[in-house]
Amino acid sequence: MTHLTMEQLLALREPGLEPGVQGWRDHAAVCELCRSELDRMDQRVARLRALPTLQPARNRFTEIQSRARQARLKRRLFVLSLGGLALAASVALAVVLAPRFGGGGASSLAEQQQLDSIIARSRQLESVIEDYDPDRRVTDGRTAVVAASLEDRVAQVDRQLQLVNMMDQRMRPQEALRLWRERVGLLDALMDVHATGARYVRY
Amino acid sequence: MDVFGLANADAVLPGVKAGDPTAQEALYRAFEAPVYNLARRICRTTEDAEDVLQETFLEVFRSIGNYRGEGSLWGWVRTIASSKALMRLRRNKYRETDELQDEVVPLRREDAALRMDLEAALERLNSTSRAVVWLHDVEGYTHEEIAAMMQKTVSFSKSQLARAHSRLRHWLGEEVPA
Repeated sequence: MTHLTMEQLLALREPGLEPGVQGWRDHAAVCELCRSELDRMDQRVARLRALPTLQPARNRFTEIQSRARQARLKRRLFVLSLGGLALAASVALAVVLAPRFGGGGASSLAEQQQLDSIIARSRQLESVIEDYDPDRRVTDGRTAVVAASLEDRVAQVDRQLQLVNMMDQRMRPQEALRLWRERVGLLDALMDVHATGARYVRY
Repeated sequence: MDVFGLANADAVLPGVKAGDPTAQEALYRAFEAPVYNLARRICRTTEDAEDVLQETFLEVFRSIGNYRGEGSLWGWVRTIASSKALMRLRRNKYRETDELQDEVVPLRREDAALRMDLEAALERLNSTSRAVVWLHDVEGYTHEEIAAMMQKTVSFSKSQLARAHSRLRHWLGEEVPA
C-alpha cells in the first residue's frame, strides 16, 4: 500500500476540497500508519502554538518614539519648505499684480517691504527648526502634542495662503501679510516648544 | 497575546491616530510581545527581530490613519510585522547562504540521540521554511496569503510547509515506523 506523502497529509488539514483530497481522506480513514502521522502532525502544530512568547531584551519604545517624531518632523519640514517657497512666489506675484493699495506708492512699497521681511523671517525660522536634532532631545508627551498641534496649524495657514490668489485683488496684500505674520508666530511658538523641551531635558 | 492588551489597544486607537504619545505607548505595550515573538520566530537573530519590532511600530504609527477598522487591529499590525520580517529575510539572503542551511548542515549522530526539542528544531530549519511553518501553523495565514507576502506561488508555500514538517518530524524522532 502506498502511504500519503507529507504534502498530501498537510492537504487534509486545509479547508476546502482540492482534487484528490477525498481519495486521500478515504485512505487515511483505513490506514493506521497515515492516521498516526496525522495525529502526530496535529500534536506538533499544537506544540508549536504552545511555545512560550519570546520577549524583547530591552524596552525600545523611547527609541521608536524618537524616530517616529523625527520622521514626522522631517516630513512636515519638507512640506513646509516646499510650501513656503511656493507660497512666497505666488504671494509676491499676487501683490505685484494687485492694484496699488492705499492709493499711495509709498505705502504700497512699505507693505511690500513688510511682506518680504516677514517671508524672510519665516524661512529663517524653518531653517532653525530644521537644524534642531530631535534624536538628541527627549520631550514629554504634552510637549509632543503641543508641537504636533502647532505644525498642524502651520499647515492650515499654508492652505489659506494658497487661496490668497483667489481673493479680490485689493484684499490680497493685507491678507497675505496677516497670514504670513500668523505663520511666523506659529513657527516662533514651535521653536519655543522645542527649546523648552531641550532645557527641560538638560536640567 | 493577552486579552487586556488587545482591549486596551482598541481603546487607545483614536489617540494613536491623533499622534498622542501616551496612546502610542499604550498601543506599543499591548502589541510589543506578540510582534517581537513573531519577528523572533521568523528571523535568525535577536538583533534582526528587534529591528523588525522597531520598523513595525514606526510603520504602524505612520500609517495608522489607513486602518479603517476592517478586521482586527492586531490582524493589521501582524500583517505589517510579517511583511517586515519577510523583508528582513529577503535582505539577509543576499548576505548569507541561509536558504541551504538545513540541507548542508548534516544531522550529527548525537542530535538524533538527543531528540531535539521543538525550539531547537524550529531554529534549525532554514529561514524560508521556518517562516512558512510559523505563519501557517501558528499565525493562521493561508497559503495564498503567505504566497502574496513572500512574492512566491501557492505551490511554493505548500512545498515549504511540507519540507518543514518532514524535517521537524525527523529531528524530533516522530517518524512512524512502517
